[in-house]
Amino acid sequence: MRSFLKMHSWTLVGLFGAGNIGLQIYLAAGDIKYWPEINWMDVAGEGGTAVILFGWLIMLLRARPAGRVTRLLSLGLCCMCFAMWMDVLDEFIRLAPEAVWDNWLETAPMPVGMLLLTFGMFHLHREQQAISAQMSKRERLFREYRLFDNLTPLAGAQYLKQHLAQALDMSTKEQQPLSLVAIDLDDFNEINVRYGQDEGDQVLQGVAQLLLMNLRQQDVLCRLAGDRFVAVLPNTGEHQALGIAEELQQSIAALAHRTVRHGERLHLSATVATVMALNEDEDQLLKRLNMGLAKAKPRTAQCA
Amino acid sequence: MRLTALREAPEAGYECDSRFVAAHHLPAVLIDLARSRNIDTHRLLRGCGLFYEDVMTGRAQISPRQFLQLVENTRRLLPAADTPFLFGQRLWPGHYGAASDVLEQADHLLQALEHIKAYRALLSPLLTPVMHFDEQYLHLYWRFSCGENDSNAFLLESAMTAVVALARRQQMERLPWRFEFAYAEPSHVEQYWVHLSDNVAFGRPSTVMSLPRAHLLRPWPHAGSTGGRVARQTCDDQLLTWGWAASFLDELNEHLTRQIRQPLSLERVAAAFAVSPASLKRRLAKHGTSFQEQLDLARRDLAVHLYQVKGLSNDEVAQQLGFNDITNFRRSFKRWTGLVPSELKALLGH
Repeated sequence: MRSFLKMHSWTLVGLFGAGNIGLQIYLAAGDIKYWPEINWMDVAGEGGTAVILFGWLIMLLRARPAGRVTRLLSLGLCCMCFAMWMDVLDEFIRLAPEAVWDNWLETAPMPVGMLLLTFGMFHLHREQQAISAQMSKRERLFREYRLFDNLTPLAGAQYLKQHLAQALDMSTKEQQPLSLVAIDLDDFNEINVRYGQDEGDQVLQGVAQLLLMNLRQQDVLCRLAGDRFVAVLPNTGEHQALGIAEELQQSIAALAHRTVRHGERLHLSATVATVMALNEDEDQLLKRLNMGLAKAKPRTAQCA
Repeated sequence: MRLTALREAPEAGYECDSRFVAAHHLPAVLIDLARSRNIDTHRLLRGCGLFYEDVMTGRAQISPRQFLQLVENTRRLLPAADTPFLFGQRLWPGHYGAASDVLEQADHLLQALEHIKAYRALLSPLLTPVMHFDEQYLHLYWRFSCGENDSNAFLLESAMTAVVALARRQQMERLPWRFEFAYAEPSHVEQYWVHLSDNVAFGRPSTVMSLPRAHLLRPWPHAGSTGGRVARQTCDDQLLTWGWAASFLDELNEHLTRQIRQPLSLERVAAAFAVSPASLKRRLAKHGTSFQEQLDLARRDLAVHLYQVKGLSNDEVAQQLGFNDITNFRRSFKRWTGLVPSELKALLGH
């Protein structure tokens, strides 16, 4: 909370300062209304809008990293919030009818705020496009933050299933093949036992990045569970998928992961399996992929 | 007659509110897992009657109920599907002093499982392993030591993963485990594939993990060590100090299973435990269960075991359970399992 106040102190101080100055000007120039004169409907409507706008401002500042887009959006909201505040004050303080400037204080900030907000939204859209490009190979077709994996920068099994359902639909419609590759690290538990769980987590994160680099732009990689990853390859036949799987396997064998503590080189290897989608749903397809992996897996673990 | 009754009197056992679980042992594994995923310790321990500072003293002891609250909090704050499996992987042998030494220095998997059963108050206070053997397989079931609750699936998943991970770690090989679950296939079935085995089946009569017996006696790296024997002595001493080795519900279950052919009633069982019927009833209510429920549970487990492992006929099973009337037995069986015996047999593939 403290860091939040510190980071955005200028925005908040500016808004409260402006609101306070507006209040002082109104008090100096006008008289306070009597109870029967106050239109409570207007107070509720305009006051409620001001409170909600302020809520949006706080949510925005909390959610977004600082930067130009955040500045534009928050400035826009500040202007609109100030305009609504002056509107509310109007209900409590009677001003002389010949005063024109009060109209300016109430009305002018609104369009300015709207313009700033629109400009901010435009850049927000551009920013989103840039982020989506960075998220390539990690998500396609849809976004759901609740399905992100909590360890690697990938999506988890639930995302994979939903994505797969859509991708299967598309491949049937477009009459294009769709293949899956599963990548499972060998003796991963050995690493956990010998170097600790934290090192194991590091390996998973490293491998996730490595696999991403070895995939094509249209592919999507997810972490199925534990040390098992699945890549969805659209418009890819079985033969091509086998080639990609082999490349992924080789890239893991060539990865020089060094432990965090002693910089010791770990030799990794992986078992891979591929399937091409036939007329089946995503659960059956994943089951078949898993069976393929079980067959390919060496029974006895070697002591790496 | 009186004397035999006295000698067979069951022990009292630990209850859900007995404080004996060292907070820096099993619960700390869960706390550390949550911490590694950036969960705030204060939020994690809320409602557990425990502060992180208490755990750090190394003297704090909590009850199974508090431990369960911790599990529940973890499920809420760390709802990722892999949480119970990661917890299970870190569970055994662990760093719990003598109890961990006993596990680590066991001669083979069978002995390790026997140790987990014998020292479950130290190694697995919430779940009791139950082992049955047939000619080819070990069948390992799990019973909830302190009653069933919302975290059942979490506890089962972690205990099963713990056994698989312990065996793999000590024997340096993937063992051909086979799993059956009494519940429907969960949405996170891939966790089962990766952490347990590719051989999993759901919607079965009971939840059990099976392993060909040949794998049970493969020697472990620290077999037959003196340290292991000393550690066992230390654990035995601890159990002697407490005066029990199993939970109250375990003791009750054992008593009911042993006396299953006798007519069993709350009054008779209370007399065997040397408590008043009202007190027994209260104690059962504390664990969220009742006498009839426990009796049905014991009968169900025995019946399924007799069908599945011994391959007995309806008449034989009914007789073993003390039923004179086969129709009555069939009706009761349907109440316990939701299946009539013929449906169960079809499921078992007999």
